[in-house]
Amino acid sequence: MKVLVFSIGADRYGLRLGAIARVLPAAQLRQLPLAPPFVAGLMDLHGEPVPVLDLSRLAGVTPLQIWFDTRIILVDYEVGGKGGNSCVRPLGLLAEHVLGIETLIEADLADSGIQAAPFLGQVAATGAGMVQLVELAQLLPLDVRALLFATSAVAP
Amino acid sequence: MFQHLRIKSKITLGLGAIVAIFLLLLALAYNNLSRLSTANEWDRHTLEVLLETNHISTSTLQIQAATRGFMLTGNELIIVPIQEEEAEARAHLARSRALTVDNPHQQERLGRLGPMLDHWISNVINPLIEKRREVNRSLGVSQQVASANDVLNGTRAVADIRKLIDEIAKEETRLLAVRSKASTELQQTMFLLLGGGGLVCLLLAAIIGALLTNALLGPLNSLTRAVGRIARGDQAARAEVASNDEMGKVTVEFNRMAQAIQDSQAKELAATNELRAKVDALLDVVSKAASGDLTGSVAVGGVDAIGRLGDGLGTMFDNLRRLLNNVQKAGIQVTTSATEIAASARQQEATGIEQAQTSVEVLSTTKEISANTAQLLRTMEDATAVADYTTSATAEAQNNLKRMDLTMQHMVSATDSINAKLAALSEKASNINSVLITITKVADQTNILSLNAAIEAEKAGDAGRGFSVVATEIRRLSDQTSVSAWDIDQMLKEMQSAVAASVMGMDKFSEEVRRSVGEVRQVSNQLSSVMDQVQKLAPQFDLVLQGMQSQAVGASQISDTMMQLNDATQQTVESLKATSEAVYQLQYAASDLQSSVATFAVNS
Repeated sequence: MKVLVFSIGADRYGLRLGAIARVLPAAQLRQLPLAPPFVAGLMDLHGEPVPVLDLSRLAGVTPLQIWFDTRIILVDYEVGGKGGNSCVRPLGLLAEHVLGIETLIEADLADSGIQAAPFLGQVAATGAGMVQLVELAQLLPLDVRALLFATSAVAP
Repeated sequence: MFQHLRIKSKITLGLGAIVAIFLLLLALAYNNLSRLSTANEWDRHTLEVLLETNHISTSTLQIQAATRGFMLTGNELIIVPIQEEEAEARAHLARSRALTVDNPHQQERLGRLGPMLDHWISNVINPLIEKRREVNRSLGVSQQVASANDVLNGTRAVADIRKLIDEIAKEETRLLAVRSKASTELQQTMFLLLGGGGLVCLLLAAIIGALLTNALLGPLNSLTRAVGRIARGDQAARAEVASNDEMGKVTVEFNRMAQAIQDSQAKELAATNELRAKVDALLDVVSKAASGDLTGSVAVGGVDAIGRLGDGLGTMFDNLRRLLNNVQKAGIQVTTSATEIAASARQQEATGIEQAQTSVEVLSTTKEISANTAQLLRTMEDATAVADYTTSATAEAQNNLKRMDLTMQHMVSATDSINAKLAALSEKASNINSVLITITKVADQTNILSLNAAIEAEKAGDAGRGFSVVATEIRRLSDQTSVSAWDIDQMLKEMQSAVAASVMGMDKFSEEVRRSVGEVRQVSNQLSSVMDQVQKLAPQFDLVLQGMQSQAVGASQISDTMMQLNDATQQTVESLKATSEAVYQLQYAASDLQSSVATFAVNS
């Protein structure tokens, strides 16, 4: 299983490649006033507005600066609608130190045992250190999901 | 006859005479007027008498008329006024008599008129009235009883009365004519008196005025003429004393003044003559003195100017005599003094010879000084040579310093060019930096691209496996590029800091060089001033040298002078001998003086 490895604070985390649409350079974002602090802003993707979340802030760590390897990871986010009809919306995730792609062996994955944050999943040890998986499905609480995708949830 | 009266009296007399004539004229006029008034009184008196007689006549006629009326009518009422008329006639008669007291003819006539009137009334009128009354009682009133005789009776008496009255009136009329004539004459006299008197008065006034003018102006003219003559220079001119009044007194005083002026001029002339005589006497004495005779004495004396001059001259002659005496005495003294001088001249001659010996000694000393000075002169020449050498050495040092200064300036400019080159280097480094940034960006993009390629390959599954390998390789390359770029960046930064340090060092170095240049210039300036001083020193040495040379010359001159002095001393000795000779001559001259002074006669 291949994951995209990035850092939150000093620790390394991984995101499954299947969920990732593209990796983009950290572009200028439009600020969204009165939004939760982990909402980094709004990105212009070929004319389409895409909300961007700051993973570091979401994990409770304030990022020091925009690094040269700070990227926006564009994912296809499944928005759970009513009665099971779900649709996929693009969502940007601002991640620090996007180092590259690593291959994790399924057998190495183990539960962390501590359920601190809902979106943090299994942990695997690699040569360079431990990598914890980030579960995209549990990334956003329901109210934030409603806040970000309110119109699109009603539209279909 | 007015000569002895004062002017006031003259004027008073003249005006008084005119006033007196006028008063006389007034008195005459008054007299005539009073006579005229009296004549008028008499005229009126005559007219009054005439009026009275007329009244009497009228009353008589009234009585006659009343009687006749009564006779005709028998009416008693008609005769009532007879009594009144009678009384009136009598009153007028009495008044006429009183008026004509001064005229006996009229008195006599009036005296006759009274009895005639009485007679007429008692004998004619009263019987007629009684007769008619008788008729009235017997026959009645309306009866006319009067006969022609009755009527004519008494007419004669009335005619007589009237005749008398006419006479009286005539007399009075004649008197009136006479009096009127007298009055007219009086008036003519009055006119004559006033006209003639006025003329006489005017004539008299004119004569008095002329006399007065003559009396006042005559002496004044005489005085004016005399003043004019005196003014023209006629000292003997006197004014004529024509009167005894104020003008006469003025004339007398004027004459006295003129006399005083004449007297004083005569006195002045006498004084001048006296003065001239005194001056002549003085001149005699002075001319005698001028010819050498001082025995003449000054006889002129006194307190006036000439007297004092005479006294002064006398004193002067006395002093001159004394002076000459003194000169004679002095001649003798000069002779003795000359002898003494001759003795001292001989003594001086001996001293001169001694002095000549001393001069020879001084001469040898001066020669020694001259030799010393020549030695000193050589030393000074050496010193001058050293100073010249110092000057040239200093100039060389200055030239070297100038070269050094030039080199320093070259260094400064070289430093500046190095700085410029370093700046260019820094700019180049900046350019490299920008290129590096581009490379980094490209590497970054490549990294992202490789990531995306890996993702796509993963999505493609087994088909994308080869692609995945390529993507990994690309990512590795990009990473290497990034690392290289970072290395270059680091090197570049080091280079830039090194360049900056070099620039700073070069700046500091150029600053040092500039300061050195300044110091070198300062040293150069100091050297210049030293050189100036040394160059100034050389002429001063020259001056000293010249002074030394002149001193040497002076020493030789002193030596010469001493020789000359020696000669001069010899000459002095000679001169002293000549002086002795001259003193002998002086002795002869003194005796000559004595004999000359003796020619003055001084018998004091």
